[in-house]
Amino acid sequence: MSDLKLQHLEKIYDNKVQAVYDFDLDVKDGELIVLVGPSGCGKSTTLRMVAGLEDISRGNLIIDGKDVTRMPPKDRDIAMVFQNYALYGHMTIYENMAFSLMLRKENKNEIHRKVLAAAEILDLTSQLNKKPGQLSGGQRQRVAMGRAIVRRPKVFLFDEPLSNLDAKLRSATRREILLLHKRLNATMLYVTHDQTEALTLADRIVCMSMGHVQQIGTPLELYDTPANLFVASFIGLPPMNLFDVEICDGQAINSDFAVDLTPEEKEMLAPYEGKVVTMGVRPENVVERGNITVNVFSNENLGLNTLVNGTTGKHKITCKFRGWCNYKAGDEVKVSFDRKHFFDKETTKAIR
Amino acid sequence: MPVNNDAQTRKDRLRFTKNKLSANLILGAIAANALYFVSIYSSDEGSYYYKLFIGASIVYNLVFMLVAFLSSEGIKNYKLSYAFTSVLIGVLQVGRIFYLPMKAHRDANPVADAKQATVMGTGQFRYVTICLIVSAVLLIAAGVIGFMKTTTLNGYIAELERNKQEGTDDE
Repeated sequence: MSDLKLQHLEKIYDNKVQAVYDFDLDVKDGELIVLVGPSGCGKSTTLRMVAGLEDISRGNLIIDGKDVTRMPPKDRDIAMVFQNYALYGHMTIYENMAFSLMLRKENKNEIHRKVLAAAEILDLTSQLNKKPGQLSGGQRQRVAMGRAIVRRPKVFLFDEPLSNLDAKLRSATRREILLLHKRLNATMLYVTHDQTEALTLADRIVCMSMGHVQQIGTPLELYDTPANLFVASFIGLPPMNLFDVEICDGQAINSDFAVDLTPEEKEMLAPYEGKVVTMGVRPENVVERGNITVNVFSNENLGLNTLVNGTTGKHKITCKFRGWCNYKAGDEVKVSFDRKHFFDKETTKAIR
Repeated sequence: MPVNNDAQTRKDRLRFTKNKLSANLILGAIAANALYFVSIYSSDEGSYYYKLFIGASIVYNLVFMLVAFLSSEGIKNYKLSYAFTSVLIGVLQVGRIFYLPMKAHRDANPVADAKQATVMGTGQFRYVTICLIVSAVLLIAAGVIGFMKTTTLNGYIAELERNKQEGTDDE
């Protein structure tokens, strides 16, 4: 396994549309990096540039200390797992997994050992004589991963591998990918638009929007200390509640409520006295007691938690309360915020 | 089951790979027979073949190619009976040499000017005979290879079953 350096990568298409801007990232040996962002943010393009399926317009790609920027895909020693599995329907699972090694004219006994070892890891031994059409979506995705494993590449690339699976299977396969990463200690680059996947799988997350990297950090860093408004609103489910508030005499005030600031917040927001900033509150940081009135319009019980959607006057708010709640539309709940995030209204950057 | 040495690995591979070698040999045999089939009825003495046996000969060739193709598919999946079938139709291909090509080569029919017209010249006879011999050799080789691989695989699977059974008994 190897380290991977993406040095100021940019992608500009022939029609002058720029898909990726100045992507700079050092991936350590054995690290699992997740590229996350909404559709069209450039994450798959970045992955395809690493794979060699897209030309790199500017910047350098270094794998294991070797510049592979202009190298064809077959020489990069990279394996990619696609969303649609890309298996050969007329071949058995064994043949699918062995195919790339056969093309390289490796010793047949060696191929056999590698395929069996990969099948053992992925619990596919009993399926080796079947064809892809006879397997479930999750099993097919495991075959696609097996095909990557047998090659023992320097870097694994995953392009939304779980998007075709139903929710239950997705969760199970996600766990398998995590176990696989631990077992192989492989360098992996994983693209998804699903933040749950990003938070649960990643050693580090790269959050992207409109071709720009918004923040790189551990899942906790992105959740706890988002760098800007985009990351704050993208990471976390349900998304963060955002309010425009004016900082005035140690309070954050808007037309619906006034919230007292903590001494640390007062100090941090001193330069913004009299100015309007964006205040973010995660639904799980809304506490079911306080002086802010929420008019409930829906109550969603999730078992362990309840999502309560409502309004504080003009502003919509989502609250995530522990336990089972039975609020009805029209009920009033008094709440407060136990953790707040502040963002500069103009730059959208976090205020720290 | 971990497979450590090469001989064991070769056997274990049979569980997951098809017997493409035998299958391809049989397809080669079908091709050789097709060459025979398109060449055999070409003759200066056209009426020689216009008897009942031309129908039987054509039907035999068609049936042969069908059976050979079925054998190819069967032998690919390690079906022992198809290995025997392959050898059998290979032997029949050899036997055929002594009927139609040889008979046609020997026979000559009188024509209007009382000269003897040759039904099958030596060149054509050699050509169709070689086609049949190639076809026969390929079929017999495919059958023998198929037989060896299939018995090896069956023995190996039986050994695995025994080991599994002993493992279960030990527990």
